[in-house]
Amino acid sequence: MAEINITEERRRHLLGAMAESSIDAMLLYGNAWQGDYLRYGADFGILEGHGFALVSSAGPAELFLDSVVEAERAEVETSGATVHFDPDVVRIVAARVDAAGVRLAAAPLHLLPSGLLANCDEPLADATALVDRLLMHKLPAEIAVLRRAAQLADDAYAVFREAVGVGRRQYEAVADVEAYLRRRGCPDNFMIIGSGGKDVLGMTPPSERRIARGDLVTTELTPALQGYFAQICRTLVVGTASDAQRRAFHVFQEALKAGVAAVRPGATAADVARAENDVFRKHGLGDYTTSKWTRVRGHGIGLFCDSKPHLLEEVDTELVPGMALIVHPNTYHPDVGYIVLGDAVVVTEEGAEVLCRTARDLFEVAA
Amino acid sequence: MRRGLISRSPVELPDAVLDARIACTHAALRKAGLDALIVYTNNTRPAGVSWLTGFVPYWSEALLVLVRDRAPVLVAALTYRVKSWIERTSRVGEVIHTQRIGLEAARMIAGGKADAAVGIADLRGLADGIAADLRTGGPRLQLLDATTLFEALRACADPAEIALAMQATSIARQALAESAGESLGAITAKVEKTARMLAAEEVYIAAAPDLGRDARLRRIEGDIERGESFALRVSVAYKGTWVRLVRSFVDPALWQQAAAQFAAAVARLPQPNAFDGFSSWLVEGCRVAQPLEPLMGSRIAAPRALAPGALVSVQGSLSVDGQLVLLGAPALLGAPGESPGLLVDLRFE
Repeated sequence: MAEINITEERRRHLLGAMAESSIDAMLLYGNAWQGDYLRYGADFGILEGHGFALVSSAGPAELFLDSVVEAERAEVETSGATVHFDPDVVRIVAARVDAAGVRLAAAPLHLLPSGLLANCDEPLADATALVDRLLMHKLPAEIAVLRRAAQLADDAYAVFREAVGVGRRQYEAVADVEAYLRRRGCPDNFMIIGSGGKDVLGMTPPSERRIARGDLVTTELTPALQGYFAQICRTLVVGTASDAQRRAFHVFQEALKAGVAAVRPGATAADVARAENDVFRKHGLGDYTTSKWTRVRGHGIGLFCDSKPHLLEEVDTELVPGMALIVHPNTYHPDVGYIVLGDAVVVTEEGAEVLCRTARDLFEVAA
Repeated sequence: MRRGLISRSPVELPDAVLDARIACTHAALRKAGLDALIVYTNNTRPAGVSWLTGFVPYWSEALLVLVRDRAPVLVAALTYRVKSWIERTSRVGEVIHTQRIGLEAARMIAGGKADAAVGIADLRGLADGIAADLRTGGPRLQLLDATTLFEALRACADPAEIALAMQATSIARQALAESAGESLGAITAKVEKTARMLAAEEVYIAAAPDLGRDARLRRIEGDIERGESFALRVSVAYKGTWVRLVRSFVDPALWQQAAAQFAAAVARLPQPNAFDGFSSWLVEGCRVAQPLEPLMGSRIAAPRALAPGALVSVQGSLSVDGQLVLLGAPALLGAPGESPGLLVDLRFE
């Protein structure tokens, strides 16, 4: 069976959506903070500088970059895109847009450099919502890659469990995971970590803090394959878990189970968040579902590690088959500190396909 | 997104150094008649704010607002739950958390002076949504491009910045010393681990897997076979300072010969013919916020002037006895009349 070319699939999908909206050409912008729109249209995972892709049915995608090293990388890593380099990329993209002479839209419009919009003769139409829909509603080929990325997340979490030990610094444990991922041919990962007890309010990049006996060690681990990020969230204890830690963790197990059970076509992001939060409220922990203690109760995953929709009780985005999410009722527990637990899922006709295979346990590692 | 060690050392980046940079910026604002300066940061354009405060966002974005003669304020889209982390890793007077960073920054400035003249470093590169929020939050503010002003402030590296670059270079060099002849994935893993265990803030690894076929450097994804000769480039960040180092895995004698030619070429910078005889070359450095921005090179039609005392990362490729060799290393440009020098000895055992 011929291998599905995910880049071509996405391009067909994008061109189809553009045609339905009477858009002749689409300008997609990306940088290493928010690179998913660019990756969708030009299949380039940008690391440095500004990147723009001009996509139309008239020819191959044109990729504009302002870094020499990125342009060289793009020439090798992308297929089917014409790569342009200019240190003043804003100027040449503005000129290209003005010369296009077609109905042109851009996404994400609010992230485009202000100098570009100031230099364009005509205002650009905002196609952010159109591309957001494409990013959220995954093609079968995209789901297939996410399944592999989730498997890698499981494997990397097993490495993380081995990497955590008394006296190790947080960044040393992360180094082990990153090395493992590179050895597996995975070029990118998003990962934050926390270790300690009630003093820890959340996760951050790794610090020099040494892991100690009795610590809760939390991590969000998010490897990317072909640009697709799949996430797993787990918590472990260094040594034997205390009764308080076990009791607290049970709330998160129950909340995750409720959240995943709420994932089905026709439900909304709010329904999933509410299902998670109701468990906390039932246990008298409703305060800890608010923005004072937690950011989101999960979110979309895909070409960005924190995609739409955010799982919050005020987000009414309807779930449809093909959406990929991480459901994670991560928050602070007043008895023991910050706890995370989350699985990547895909919305199917029947409900949720859980991609992560790691047990939803409070793991214990040798002290 | 960053997942290496982000920390601030009062020894490596003392308060006095950051205070001196802030004082210097205030002086420049006064001289230019500006009431405030805004510098944007995210994980891909962090170098302006990190130079002023040490702050490096692992993700998300923020604006540093420097109202003349007042302590810097960071307006961050990051949740307030990481406020203590921001305060630990940076030196700012205040941290404000909001999703509408442009709106808040403008209101803050306009609250003091409604028609303030506000310089924005890299105004053209600022996201349009933030620029629009600045206009909404301070309708009478004069928003002016302060790129040239800011670029001049940081053009010449100070001793603290040079020391951080030296440490980043040392990390990169030790990482590239991992030359065991296994698969490319295994080598890459060792390079990555070495750099991160040495406290790198970030590591980007690129490889030219077979110099006999293609000298272009790429990120490695999946299983890619390596040839007899190959090259690796590591881009390492250490406490906000970035360098690149490139090593070709070729006959050691050819490498030494190439390294000598490379060092000689770097010493001739900024002469435009410094790299005569090379197939390609590139000089990168930080002007405002992008850590390594192209300044001069074989693919750059309009080169930028290289400032004396600037830190740069240089790459080149040349053929030695028929073997293509890629090299790269950070360098410090000398004062007028002085030769630039590499920050590292390119001999690998």
